[in-house]
Amino acid sequence: MMSTYRNVICIYGKYMQSNLPLMLGRINYPVSNDNFQQVRNIKKHWNQKYRKARAQKVIKVKLPKFDENESPADAFRSKLKEAGILPQRDWTERPVFISSTPSIFERYIVPEGDGKFSPLTTTGIKQKFEVLEKKSKSFMALRKIKMFEDNYTAEKFRDHLSDIYKKAHEALCRKDKDEILQYVTETVYPLLIHNVENKTLIWKFVESLEPPRIVHARVTNIVTKHNEYAQVTVRFHTKQLLCIYDRFGRVILGSETVKKDVLDYIVFEKHLANEYGTWRIHGKIIPDWMKPEEVPTFTYSLLKKQEELSSSDSDVQSVAKVVPPETLDKQHTT
Amino acid sequence: MTFIYVGYFNCKKMLSIRQYAQRFISNKIFNTNNSNYLPSIQQRSFNWFKEDDENDSKGFLKYNKTIFPPQKPGEPKRPGYVCHVKKNIKYSPLKMWYVACFIRGMSVDEAVKQLSFLKKKGAAIAKDTILEAQRMAVEEHNIEFKSNLWVAESFATKALVYKGIRRHARGRYGIIHYRYCHYFVRLEEGKPPKHYYQPAPKTGEEWLQEWMEQMRNRKIYNSL
Repeated sequence: MMSTYRNVICIYGKYMQSNLPLMLGRINYPVSNDNFQQVRNIKKHWNQKYRKARAQKVIKVKLPKFDENESPADAFRSKLKEAGILPQRDWTERPVFISSTPSIFERYIVPEGDGKFSPLTTTGIKQKFEVLEKKSKSFMALRKIKMFEDNYTAEKFRDHLSDIYKKAHEALCRKDKDEILQYVTETVYPLLIHNVENKTLIWKFVESLEPPRIVHARVTNIVTKHNEYAQVTVRFHTKQLLCIYDRFGRVILGSETVKKDVLDYIVFEKHLANEYGTWRIHGKIIPDWMKPEEVPTFTYSLLKKQEELSSSDSDVQSVAKVVPPETLDKQHTT
Repeated sequence: MTFIYVGYFNCKKMLSIRQYAQRFISNKIFNTNNSNYLPSIQQRSFNWFKEDDENDSKGFLKYNKTIFPPQKPGEPKRPGYVCHVKKNIKYSPLKMWYVACFIRGMSVDEAVKQLSFLKKKGAAIAKDTILEAQRMAVEEHNIEFKSNLWVAESFATKALVYKGIRRHARGRYGIIHYRYCHYFVRLEEGKPPKHYYQPAPKTGEEWLQEWMEQMRNRKIYNSL
């Protein structure tokens, strides 16, 4: 008479054993809300009063939980709380970096449409004059810079700066972090290196269309009077090659054969007060009137409308909306 | 133990922040008319001076770092791939093996669809990992279509095993193994191969060719 005492459905954890006759028994059908999985091998006593006794047989072990999405700070705090220790006060200090300034001071304002007009036209002449007008303050600054430079000649100085310009780019192509920092200040370093990881850069300097020209110079002191920084803006009008490949060697932008004319206003900086200070690239002046650059185009999926989102809740439906496979057969042409 | 998983959280957290930042910034940084985004990159400069993440530079994830040489204009497009790992899952590797084998050689959409109907804890984990890898492929590895991927590798390995004790009758004891596992997946660009596990069955022509070859290559002893 065992059957009279026997519970027909035994549930243990997420496993369920049904001892109902086949006709009455439920069909084990995958329903998303249902957690139970039907098995036939539950070897537990049907009476729940033995559950506690069964549990006592197992000695509890504290298992590490890796799937908790707790921040390290929170995790540490809860650990301290567990142990009953008061958390220590944080040691807060603000690091100050003095071998470069955080910004470009008194930015050079680029004449509109620079590089597009020949000096023979009226606009071209006007631009030339404008440049001359603004120079008085720059002259003073250059005079100061000369004091700190050994054997200063205008030509030598320009060559030196254009050499830095090239070397910085070449180091960037090689992704040599230490070398880049020799030619670039710490302020501009993150901007330069942003988004270049996992990519191959090919950059070549073809020729200089116009000799590099110093258009702007400033010297400022920070905190103390003798702690001086010099910034020089140089106009480079050059011909360059640029090609960017992704991680798998496929072209993202540019070409290795097409040369392009490039007009750059590069700001160089030197910590004059530092005896071993060097000229390094400190920034680039991008005029407001310039059109946005050519940006690599990526394929992206359009955002769904709100109504559509609410109607399709399950993952299975969202999977069905995919790119039709026949479109994938097309050969990729670059 | 504490240090191990604090480190683990740390790297996980950092990666996600960086991913988010890149997602928001990358498109707008080149916009010349708006220089508001530059300071936000500079603020993160602290990360740039750090060494690469230890987890990325060795093990399975280091393959995400390999950079292939540039392709020549005429060459066929090199298929991209992305590797992804889910570590220290509280699930037996012996059970995970079935799930891992099940989806090998399927397209991503097919694998996700199949896994959503598989009533196992491992299936949910594998599905999560695949979807995450798919997202990474599109956002970080320049793969154009998210559906144009297939499961090239999928395997589970043993991680930590904790031993527990259980009482038996007559003063005896038994050992309980609490097992953890790692789940690895590699998605490759392109369509899945028709025959993943075995080479494609030969056609009649091919069988004939093979037989002919065999016949021609045989050696007749004591002949000229």
